[in-house]
Amino acid sequence: MSLIKELFGKSPFGPLAQHAKKVHECVQLICPLMEACIKGDHEEIHRIQDQVSKHEYEADKIKHEIREQLPRRYFMPVEREDLDNFLHSQDEVADCVQDFAVILFIRKTIIHPSLANEFREFVNHIVGLSQTLMNATEEMQALAEASFGGAEAKSVLERIGGLSEGEWMADRLQRKISKHIYSIEDELDPITIIFYEKMLHSLSGVANAAENTGDLLRQMIIK
Amino acid sequence: MHLIVIGVAAFMCLYMAFNIGANDFANSMGDAVGSKAISIRPALIIGAICELAGAVLVGTYVSNTLRKGIIPLDTLENSLSASGMDRWEIAAIFSLGMICALLGASLWLHLATKFSMPASTTHAVVGAVTGFGIISAGWAVVNWGQIAKIVLSWIISPLAGAAIAFMVFKLFARLILGQRTPVRSAIKYAPGIVFILALVVLFSILYKGHVVEAIAGSFGLEPGRKLDIIMFGAVLFISATSALLSKLLIKKNLQDVGESRLTEQFRRVERIFGPLVIISSCSVAFAHGANDVANAVGPLAGMVDVFMSAAEIEGAEGLQALMSDFVPFWILTLGGVGIVIGAVTYGYKVLQTVGFSITELTPTRGVAADLAAASTVLLFSRLGVPISTSHTLVGAICGIGLARGLAGVNAKIMGRIFMVWAITVPATAFVSIIIFLIAKHAGVHLFFVEVLQNAAQGI
Repeated sequence: MSLIKELFGKSPFGPLAQHAKKVHECVQLICPLMEACIKGDHEEIHRIQDQVSKHEYEADKIKHEIREQLPRRYFMPVEREDLDNFLHSQDEVADCVQDFAVILFIRKTIIHPSLANEFREFVNHIVGLSQTLMNATEEMQALAEASFGGAEAKSVLERIGGLSEGEWMADRLQRKISKHIYSIEDELDPITIIFYEKMLHSLSGVANAAENTGDLLRQMIIK
Repeated sequence: MHLIVIGVAAFMCLYMAFNIGANDFANSMGDAVGSKAISIRPALIIGAICELAGAVLVGTYVSNTLRKGIIPLDTLENSLSASGMDRWEIAAIFSLGMICALLGASLWLHLATKFSMPASTTHAVVGAVTGFGIISAGWAVVNWGQIAKIVLSWIISPLAGAAIAFMVFKLFARLILGQRTPVRSAIKYAPGIVFILALVVLFSILYKGHVVEAIAGSFGLEPGRKLDIIMFGAVLFISATSALLSKLLIKKNLQDVGESRLTEQFRRVERIFGPLVIISSCSVAFAHGANDVANAVGPLAGMVDVFMSAAEIEGAEGLQALMSDFVPFWILTLGGVGIVIGAVTYGYKVLQTVGFSITELTPTRGVAADLAAASTVLLFSRLGVPISTSHTLVGAICGIGLARGLAGVNAKIMGRIFMVWAITVPATAFVSIIIFLIAKHAGVHLFFVEVLQNAAQGI
């Protein structure tokens, strides 16, 4: 029996980076979804929603794998709890994207023309935020390689440094759209307004989860 | 006739050495194979050569401790002659005991290997020899001071391995992995690592001791201050040369480094460390041969001393005088060969399971662990203390874990290691006692007495 092999077992950091990639794939479908909704192309929405669902499912599978293969270990470079929370939070991002896709799918909601650009702006901002996070968390293996220190860690910390400001900005944009929606509420039917709210809620959920994940990543690095 | 008895004992020694190779070899070369720096077959070949080299060049010190340090012949003689035994019987009992200890330890190890338990070959032999001592002549005959020193070393060596590995890896992390251009730093420091590895191994061979005297003898030099300085210079020179050679090799193999992404840079750093981890694993194999060959060879050498000098038993001042100063070359070689056989047959199978890539066992981690383990084991080898190479390596790995270099270490396996550690010594003592009592009851020692007396008369 090999002492070395038994002692090491499987590292969660590779799978963590993979999980990040899957979530990233979900995030990248937000803009196409929004465009399809603005254009009123429901077939396209259906197609993209399927894709999101698939990616989210694969992310879940990786998440379960990681949880299963992480029995009690000594000398982990990060706190076990931090790792669990981080994984959970990153998964939330994908879940919120999934929510957004489903909302667009279950009802043919029309985006009022005056709102289109604001929605676009909001969505772009959210996606930009999440992309920043995803680019950082995909570096998980490199972080492990550099033992969570040095130039690599510094670079990652810098990148996720702007996340809380980004999330604050997202909140602002959301308030702006909501205000606009209610200023033209007479032109909109109530259910459409409800669905606008649901869309905004799920998108800001993505931003919140991204910011939270970034925080937890910072905690993992600093330990 | 006495040669036949020695032959049987030598066979026991081979069996023990085989078990040592089977049990431990995968740990020696495991870092290089597990980090995919080298494939199994070449690893087997050079690892085996290093084991043999370590056994032959540095193996004598620990062998001496196991041969005459734990059950000193004079204390045995005093104790047994008080109960009326004559010299011949005492010599026979000693020889029989050594053979039984070897057999007992081997059987236990064979069992452990079959059940995939991480047993320490050193613990096994020390337990077995101590067990024989206690049963043959009571508690007082065992050199408890020596035992205490050994047990203390069993605690210190993994801790030392951990501490050194921690510091070495932290150094790697700061000087190489943490830099903006890790590849550049790796190229800069790699020769230094080669230098240190060469230094450690060469020092263990050439710092005073019998190898130096042999070399000096063939050049007609006398041991003394001048020789020491020459040796020191030689060690430095050879180490520096190997470092320079490696520097040239690295420069030749790597084209322009450039500013590539950090992930790409890390990959290249690990590639640079590939040859380094092969060298470091070889030094662990060397260190293992140096320390563990004694486990097979020490008891054999003890009984060979007695049988080969049978003629002097009558007239010697004390039986202790029969013990030669050094373990003969052929015995060390025998043990080394046994280890190689065990390594190549069983170790091959184990290495195959290590063969898949263990993601965080990268060459950088491997080098740090190996460097710590090899230097600790070689230091204790020169001090003549038998320690567990496996435990030292595990300690080193934990040290790297503490430095955040791993994704953690399996807690369950650590628990298993502790458990086996705790029961090995009493278990082998017990087995060795049983075997000895059976043999004594069957009158084997009286048979030995006859053989010794015949040998003394030249029959």
